[in-house]
Amino acid sequence: MNPWLLASIVLAFCLIPCGIAAFRGSPMDRLLGLEMGGVIVSMFFITLSEALGNPNFYDLALASALMAFGGGLVFVRFLERWL
Amino acid sequence: MTAPVWISSLLGICLFVCVICCLALALLRDFYVRLHYLAPVTTIGFVPLLIAVVIREGAGQAAMKTILVFAALLLINAVLTHATARAARVRRLGHWTADPEEHIPGSSVPRS
Repeated sequence: MNPWLLASIVLAFCLIPCGIAAFRGSPMDRLLGLEMGGVIVSMFFITLSEALGNPNFYDLALASALMAFGGGLVFVRFLERWL
Repeated sequence: MTAPVWISSLLGICLFVCVICCLALALLRDFYVRLHYLAPVTTIGFVPLLIAVVIREGAGQAAMKTILVFAALLLINAVLTHATARAARVRRLGHWTADPEEHIPGSSVPRS
């Protein structure tokens, strides 16, 4: 099997513990699962791009990284002040 | 040693770090301990992936975009981790600063 495809599959399975963390505990505990998931998804898109030979997924990885920052920061400020 | 072996080894290091950190995030209980496991993924985990992409693709568009993602994640993760820790403390105590009677491990500065 292509090592890039194998890496994509393993990274996709890494989202399961992130999902477990995001569904358990206090709201702040759940936020950690979301933040880790954003990083893993960015890496997943890079490995998937190499595995499939489709360079368009690099743009998705970059967009995912930037969106994870925006989303995470909004959640952090919201949880700090209002929730 | 051929290039695919190098690439497989680098991907193996990357995946090992990612799996360990994700499992630690799901299994550990303390919030601040779990917060530390966000950092290795973007540093120790991403650098081997970046090197593997550069080895395979050379100095092209793919490598440049991967470097851009790495730089973004490196900066973003530090800011986000600090903001998360600050928010958790504010939620717990109602303020960000240290209490006078609070013991901070490793701090030698006397506080009044």
